[in-house]
Amino acid sequence: MVEEARKYLQDIMAQVNGLYCILITDIDGVPLVKVSSDKTPEHATRPNFISTFRLAIDQGSKLGLGKTNTLICCYSQYQVVQMNKLPLIVSFVASDSCTTGHILALESQLDPIIEQLALVVGEA
Amino acid sequence: MGCCYSFFCKDDNSSQTGEANERTHLLIDPVSNNTNIQRVNSEDLLSRNSNTLPKKTDEQSALNRILQNTATNVIDVAALDSHNLQQHEYLERMKIYNIKVQQVLSNNKQLFTTRPNPVLQDIPNPDKVLNSDPVTIGDLNLIRSAVTAAAAAITDIRVDHKEDLVVPFGLNC
Repeated sequence: MVEEARKYLQDIMAQVNGLYCILITDIDGVPLVKVSSDKTPEHATRPNFISTFRLAIDQGSKLGLGKTNTLICCYSQYQVVQMNKLPLIVSFVASDSCTTGHILALESQLDPIIEQLALVVGEA
Repeated sequence: MGCCYSFFCKDDNSSQTGEANERTHLLIDPVSNNTNIQRVNSEDLLSRNSNTLPKKTDEQSALNRILQNTATNVIDVAALDSHNLQQHEYLERMKIYNIKVQQVLSNNKQLFTTRPNPVLQDIPNPDKVLNSDPVTIGDLNLIRSAVTAAAAAITDIRVDHKEDLVVPFGLNC
């Protein structure tokens, strides 16, 4: 069954040109489901890196601009988009030339799965 | 000093209760109310001295609250030490998640079978669809007459203007 889910995510990933990886993790960066291509930089999917999102949104919420929904980091070769789906974090790793808006548009397609996966973390 | 003390305490009291009483300042300027304050001071100090201990703890907790509020509101980048998971903890959690994800996903198979709004769909045997009989002339005529009647009905829809659009509301003049 996980294979089917992975296939589904692969299809979603293929919709966006330059998207290398979709990673659904818990708040500490422990992966629940992950699909990635060979081009994914290994460092970007490490739990140490993913879990810094939590610190960033905790501090960001103090700016008085409301809750942090999405964090977009653009690097010279890659971009990392992370979505706040507490208790989950959805991370996308893409090339720097990938259209960020396309990645953000995937949110609605992923929401039903994320809802279900959030139950896993809630139970654990 | 005593005057100051009582003045601030009194302010605290009034702000805590939030109610106006006979001692509430009507004017913010303390100079004009000076005599009044001193009278309040002596009374207040007497009553305060008797229960100094609970007040101290109150003060302490109030200070703690202020400290906590400040700590939560300040963006302290230096204190951002990420809590790293131990390797065994990480592997353990991954195992648990693997099992649970399997369970949850197998209960929700329809999530992956329904694709979001496909524009084109595959048909297994296209020759069957292409070879099927065309629509009969009778049906075609029926559809045409129904459509022309509907179109005529739609063009006949008109707004029948009977009353004023702007009506004086609630004015008896």
